[in-house]
Amino acid sequence: MGRIQLKAVQKKFGDVEVIPPLDLTIEDGEFAVFVGPSGCGKSTLLRMIAGLEELTSGQVEIDGKDMTLAPPSTRGLAMVFQSYALYPHMTVRKNIAFPLRMEKMDPAEIEKRVAVAAKSLNLTDYLDRKPGQLSGGQRQRVAIGRAIVREPSAFLFDEPLSNLDAALRVGMRLEISELHKRLENTMIYVTHDQVEAMTMADKIVVLQAGVIEQVGSPLELYNAPRNKFVGGFIGSPKMNQLEGEAAKKRGCTTIGMRPEHISVSPDSGEFKGTVGVAEQLGSDTFFHVHVEGHEETVTVRQSGQVNYGYGDTIYFTPEEDRVHKFGPDGLRVE
Amino acid sequence: MANRTIPRLLQTPAVVLLLFWMLIPLGMTLFFSFIRYVLNNLRNPHWTSPSIENWRGFGNYQFVWGQDSFWLAMKNSLVIVTSILFLTVILGVLIAVLINRSFKGRGIVRVLLISPFFVMPAVNGVLWINMILDPVLGLQGIAVGAINDLQNAPLVGWFFSLWPTLEPISFRATQTSSIAVIMMVVWQWTPFAILIFMTSLQSEDQQQKEAAVLDGASTWSQFRFLTLPHLGRPIAIVVMIQAIFHLSLYAEIEIVSRGNGNKNLPYYIGELVNNNIGAASAAGIFAVILANIVAIFLLRMVGKTLME
Repeated sequence: MGRIQLKAVQKKFGDVEVIPPLDLTIEDGEFAVFVGPSGCGKSTLLRMIAGLEELTSGQVEIDGKDMTLAPPSTRGLAMVFQSYALYPHMTVRKNIAFPLRMEKMDPAEIEKRVAVAAKSLNLTDYLDRKPGQLSGGQRQRVAIGRAIVREPSAFLFDEPLSNLDAALRVGMRLEISELHKRLENTMIYVTHDQVEAMTMADKIVVLQAGVIEQVGSPLELYNAPRNKFVGGFIGSPKMNQLEGEAAKKRGCTTIGMRPEHISVSPDSGEFKGTVGVAEQLGSDTFFHVHVEGHEETVTVRQSGQVNYGYGDTIYFTPEEDRVHKFGPDGLRVE
Repeated sequence: MANRTIPRLLQTPAVVLLLFWMLIPLGMTLFFSFIRYVLNNLRNPHWTSPSIENWRGFGNYQFVWGQDSFWLAMKNSLVIVTSILFLTVILGVLIAVLINRSFKGRGIVRVLLISPFFVMPAVNGVLWINMILDPVLGLQGIAVGAINDLQNAPLVGWFFSLWPTLEPISFRATQTSSIAVIMMVVWQWTPFAILIFMTSLQSEDQQQKEAAVLDGASTWSQFRFLTLPHLGRPIAIVVMIQAIFHLSLYAEIEIVSRGNGNKNLPYYIGELVNNNIGAASAAGIFAVILANIVAIFLLRMVGKTLME
């Protein structure tokens, strides 16, 4: 069980309102990802759920019980920190056993649970090492191990992969998704990386300046962003947003076209531009095209290896049914 | 491989200087410890200047070894040093943890806590023995007097009369003088321990503490399992530095009681030096050996914590 409900939670640091009153429900077993740019309050929100940060007003309910004032350890939540926060002078075994030891659990039972957790995380060979002797990925797994032995009702992850290198990050991402499928626990995951959000989440919560911009499944957010911010934040490379003539023609103030929904031709099309930098990935090619009258370049994605060089003139046209239209207030218009 | 001749050549003057700096005094001490050398002896005036002809072999060592006062000094040295270490480390940890949180006037409190460290040892001794510990004029005398006076107070006097009258303690006496020395040195050196522990506490990882809070650790468990191990290294350093300093304690002992009952090794040597240089040198060699034993023991301990 692990249904987490936030009711009008608000956080102020002094006079600064970091999170204006906000409502959110995370269902039992859901993998929810809080995503947003740095300083959007996503970590603060998570810490408020964990009980590490006091609420200025509002309520946190876990499984229908009001936990607003409950001390962190009684909430039945486990948290994995960005810095791993392992206890440096304890062995891996003692690190994982620590929460159980604090519960004064029977040593034999502790031993058993640690062994199970270590086995599921491939840490059995490292149980007698200290955190300082482990690699980043292994440390992360120890931190996860310390969380799962408690058998919490929900896991909280605070940017757990930010300190890992790119290759390891992909691997750990899979492992965490795998863990979620296996344990079927509620998980709340905070990240600024929209790729992590898209690949892992059942439900994405996009935050900006403490305000929820949109809540939905990854594909909902991708297909129908509620406003310009969500449109620009979800999807990689970023959505191109153009104002002016082309938007007016479609009856809105801004149009958004994703780089992958644009077709290119050497001689005719809606927009004319000159190719700037071309990024060749092998499987895809990204062109950054300068269009007259627009300051920002338009990113165009072409499948495969396409040879347009620097300075070439090209024409491109968005796929009409996949153009996103935004009104003067930045909200989506149909 | 790079040519190392020039770097070595450039280092030579410093190394040579250091070598002489240490070897000459040590060599002279060794030499004096094997000869008869006294400053004043009317019957044997030839003993008053150092000469190889006055060779005494291990006589000086036997003389020192056989003296009760030498063993008393040895014992006192160890008692004083270990008590000071024990008390300063415990007080230092407690106070450092206490002031490692934000409260009003923290800056002033910190400066005040550090200030005893800036008092000269001799001044420290005079302050304590005359103004605080004196059984008549010091704070102790006044406090004891005031408590005894309570027996004559109206209303509550009967209650205090149930207890015996307190006697002020004379800290210059043989039995208590080393306690006075320990007190004043602890007062002076606890700030040093606080300073080192405080800087270390500030580098403690806050996320670890938050993780421990979520893991259900009480404040005591956090202290026991996170803070104390984190302080292991600074504790080892404080112990080592203080042990070196306090083995050579002198001023406080001189001021408290002129060595009455609390002579430590340096003080014992200092008394011998008044006349018997040979015996003093032999005692000095014993002190060197003791310091080395302590140093090896401590370096091992510090080394072990640093290796972790």
